[in-house]
Amino acid sequence: MLIREATEKDLAGIMALEHECFINDAWSEEVMHSELVASHTFYVVVIEEEKIVGYAGLSKLPGSNQADIQTIATQPSVRGRGYGRELMNTLNSKAKELGATEIFLEVRADNTVAQKLYKLFGFKRIGIRKNYYQPDNVDAFVMQTTINSKEPIVLGIESSCDETGIGIVRGNQLLANVISSSMEQHAIFGGVVPEVAARAHLEALTPVLDEALNKANIALDDIDAIAVTNGPGLAGALMVGISAAKALSVATGKPIYAVNHLVGHVAADILANGEVATPTIALLVSGGHTSLLLVRDLLTDVQLLGETIDDAAGEAFDKVARVLGLPYPGGPQIDRVAKEGNPTAIRFPRGLSLPKDMAEHRYDFSFSGLKTAVARHVEVLEDKGEEVNLPDVAASFREAVVDVLVTKAINACKEHDVPRLLLGGGVTANARLREIAAKRCAEEGIELRIPPFDLCTDNGAMIAVLGAQLIMSGALPSKLDFGANSTLQVTKVQS
Amino acid sequence: MYSIALDTSAGTTVAVLKDDVVLAELNYDENMTHAERIGQALSDVLSKAAIRSAQIDRVVVGMGPGPFTGLRVGLAAAKFFALGANAELVGICSLDAIALSFYEQNPEAGALLVLTDARRKEVFWAAYSGIADGLPIRVVGPSVTKEENIKDFIDVDSLERTELLVTASALGKIAFSENSTELGANYDVSPIYLREPDAVPGKGKRVSS
Repeated sequence: MLIREATEKDLAGIMALEHECFINDAWSEEVMHSELVASHTFYVVVIEEEKIVGYAGLSKLPGSNQADIQTIATQPSVRGRGYGRELMNTLNSKAKELGATEIFLEVRADNTVAQKLYKLFGFKRIGIRKNYYQPDNVDAFVMQTTINSKEPIVLGIESSCDETGIGIVRGNQLLANVISSSMEQHAIFGGVVPEVAARAHLEALTPVLDEALNKANIALDDIDAIAVTNGPGLAGALMVGISAAKALSVATGKPIYAVNHLVGHVAADILANGEVATPTIALLVSGGHTSLLLVRDLLTDVQLLGETIDDAAGEAFDKVARVLGLPYPGGPQIDRVAKEGNPTAIRFPRGLSLPKDMAEHRYDFSFSGLKTAVARHVEVLEDKGEEVNLPDVAASFREAVVDVLVTKAINACKEHDVPRLLLGGGVTANARLREIAAKRCAEEGIELRIPPFDLCTDNGAMIAVLGAQLIMSGALPSKLDFGANSTLQVTKVQS
Repeated sequence: MYSIALDTSAGTTVAVLKDDVVLAELNYDENMTHAERIGQALSDVLSKAAIRSAQIDRVVVGMGPGPFTGLRVGLAAAKFFALGANAELVGICSLDAIALSFYEQNPEAGALLVLTDARRKEVFWAAYSGIADGLPIRVVGPSVTKEENIKDFIDVDSLERTELLVTASALGKIAFSENSTELGANYDVSPIYLREPDAVPGKGKRVSS
């Protein structure tokens, strides 16, 4: 299913549906055509299997603060799938973007299904037009809603891996960002243990919430909405945050928004730079993810270009640190040791960078072969009784990871004609990644943005600000029945 | 005093009580859908009882034992419900709720063994000598062992058994009774796991032969 702006070419498809939906009072082709081409109107169509199965239109005259919903229709065979809601969301966002503060519509007095949908979006009956619909002699109810232009205060809860994060924002403004990490508890295991992480989340919830409210200097009552990560991530860890968020929503009566963790990392840019300038390529690198995204619009057009097919980059740092006898977490340790080393001393493999791999995995990553190559290098030397030059191995390994990450990200920028690169995730703390990304972006004329570390690592503020964007765009709250989705697709911004 | 009680140590169960009188209760048996259920269940049980969340004085939660992932759903929800509704939070051993339900149905019964599935061919269990002032008297447990090893701790043959499941209403009643006894309510609310996380520090292994 796809919603896109309608063009003149859609006229025939729209008219077919118009006659199917409005048997006695369909608009004429001339009227519909003038609606589609007028400069003060905005029409969208729902496409399924290349056919138009829904459409809706908005009218907003320049200089007026009022918008009118002209029509909305979905094919009977696709009803019940939420397309009506999606269409309303789209028109709402557009009305707001055009500067409207009120939206009006007329609805048949006998169409209770449509009236229910409008009520969901805050529309109220303000008048009646007698015998408005002809030839059926049916009255029209006039309904109106006010667009909420206030900047909502949103509490965001993040628990997808080993960080319990609760952040609070007012619109695009950061009020608090408190993070409790269970990293130390995972150290003896050499990697994140899901059960250990989930236990730590439960213990951290209350103190982290208290601290966030204190830092923001607000009470729970002041909050307008709650946002929570529902994926991707560790299922058992996600469930702790989700359950807490739902209960808080029911107890306080505040609406809840289930949001995507990876899109949250992109949204973090709003807190750092005031907006997510689009289009942008986003490279998200952490202990759990290595993903390359093409973001044309934060809420409606995020596309996954590629991701790791085995270990995440952060995981590779942890595993190689162990091979080198360095403690967990590996990233900072390898960064420290590598400072004294020569990054070109050993040529470790660049995963999925050969022409044959690039054909199928142009923007994908692989780090498990690299880890094995490092381990083999160390074992061979040790077997011969030779000394391993730790700084050189660390620097050369780090170089291989950073090289692949930055090369693929810059390729994505160039090949999609996108002049921006945004970094996110805990591995952005890596000094060499920042250095190489800055150097190569400067060479290519690409703008590089890296939010401060506590907005790059997993945190609740990025979830809160993504929730705030949804609210300000007129999105409806999530229903209470969403669950944890450990493999949630990046295209699903809100569940 | 209005309480909302919840438990996710087995299925999902929620109840609203006025003192020890149950106003509404909802029970869902599935043991894999706690996180999906819990929000709507809390909302629905309040509607059914015609009570607003702001009227709730106390949140009572079953602390387990039970499978960890599901168990945490109830505890996480209870903690934040209590904060959101400005209510106190009380924790009760989930097996005690099963014992209460048993003694309510069998007032003349003697000693009782409560068993629940702990997976990995083991059981969570606790033994009770009877009931006093509305509170089951737990004498051994909660513990986790193979079922055949319980006899090493207690004379199994002299104990009655029950198939009853934990209910939120029973948890709410226990919390109310505890409050009116010298035992006091349990404000130290953390899950009864009984097992350490199932992870061992990995050893590095060679990649070359």
